[in-house]
Amino acid sequence: MTIKYDIESLITRFKQKDKIALAKLITILENEPDKASEIFKHFEDIKNDSYIVGITGSPGVGKSTLTGAISQKLLDDGKKVGIISVDPTSPFSGGSFLGDRVRMTNITLHPNLFMRSLASRGYKGGISRAVFDISMLYEAFGMDLILIETVGVGQSEFDIYNLAYTIVVVLVPGYGDAIQMQKAGIIEIGDIYDVNKKDLGGEDIAVHIEMMLDDTTFQSGWRPPVSMTDAITGEGVDDLIQNIWDHKEHVEMSEYIYEAKKNRFRYKIKELVYSKIEELILKSFINEEEINNIIENALNNCKFKIYQSIHDKFEEVDFEIKKKKDRT
Amino acid sequence: MSKPGIDGHWRGGIVVSRAIRDAGMELIFGGFQNIQQIVEAAIQEDVDVIGLSIHSGAHFAYTKQVIDLLKEKGVLDNIMILVGGVIPAKDFDKLRKIGVANVYGPGSMTSDIVDFIKANVKK
Repeated sequence: MTIKYDIESLITRFKQKDKIALAKLITILENEPDKASEIFKHFEDIKNDSYIVGITGSPGVGKSTLTGAISQKLLDDGKKVGIISVDPTSPFSGGSFLGDRVRMTNITLHPNLFMRSLASRGYKGGISRAVFDISMLYEAFGMDLILIETVGVGQSEFDIYNLAYTIVVVLVPGYGDAIQMQKAGIIEIGDIYDVNKKDLGGEDIAVHIEMMLDDTTFQSGWRPPVSMTDAITGEGVDDLIQNIWDHKEHVEMSEYIYEAKKNRFRYKIKELVYSKIEELILKSFINEEEINNIIENALNNCKFKIYQSIHDKFEEVDFEIKKKKDRT
Repeated sequence: MSKPGIDGHWRGGIVVSRAIRDAGMELIFGGFQNIQQIVEAAIQEDVDVIGLSIHSGAHFAYTKQVIDLLKEKGVLDNIMILVGGVIPAKDFDKLRKIGVANVYGPGSMTSDIVDFIKANVKK
């Protein structure tokens, strides 16, 4: 009774703007990334460029609600919007509780909106491996804007920096003092800062960020603005959106947009190549049993031996890359 | 996992959602949604199963509306419907007849729900 969908027919429906086909293609890309070339070869005639905005911040700061509030205004403005919301996969069960859609229920029926929840599936960096691929699908589908909401991040999960053209870092009242603002990582990557939940205060946080930004030199000529919002009532969201438009104009007027696009592709190419190489080499280089043997030896014998064991393992093999044509 | 209507009994839906997460599955928590929102979420998220958690007594009406709309959109064949909540045992068959795969009333074991999904959703 289950209907099987083949890629060809999904592509035809996708080109007729069928959301069911878009959803099915996302599933294929998520579960079988190797099918990407087979899917994307059909879109070579499509020229649409979407503007990509990343929304990041710690768990519970209101990223989803804010993403919903921003989308609502963009939709009112006649824009076509694609949302990708990532939530973490459990390291224990491999399962995931995806709770982003529940924050944006009121916009989900809009004809110009498509929203997909993704589990990170063990991918580090605050996103999932499929985020790039889905953003490409959204571009092909004709979205004007793509909003990528990361998992709730800590200080050092900022891969979103490589995927989006404008990064919004969302903070909340009580985030931290002036020292927190000096740290490397997440607090550095914002093109725009937003202090959400302003009904709880947060003016001090906004001042700390402003002071940090005042002490920073921006090569790009863009000095990030700071907004304050209450995503639930929508207060301040207009200011935040204006900041997004201003930054968009800034990157599009300068050469930066081209750099950002190059960065995006470089990130994906490396990810594709590295994951393939890792898979190929790991398969022939070391297996779980050998790893266990090294661990056993270290724990039962001497823990300092792990370095020697790994060193020896590399001494056993020579790496050589042969092009296919050389084989004959 | 979704709650059609506005009865405020979230606990059941949350407990079952956690069990599904802990069984290694990906669960999208929709919370309160109307019929159209449930179906649109199922389409855009490309789900295998829809879980409806209903404690208002309107389980038959809501479930039927979800199934009818899924059919209208042409996606019913690939989606399994499970219903849970305070459903009287005498209504189980009535729900099954309109296309619900299984019904879980008070006292159901979360492990039964997980096992049923694993056995009946082909991946």
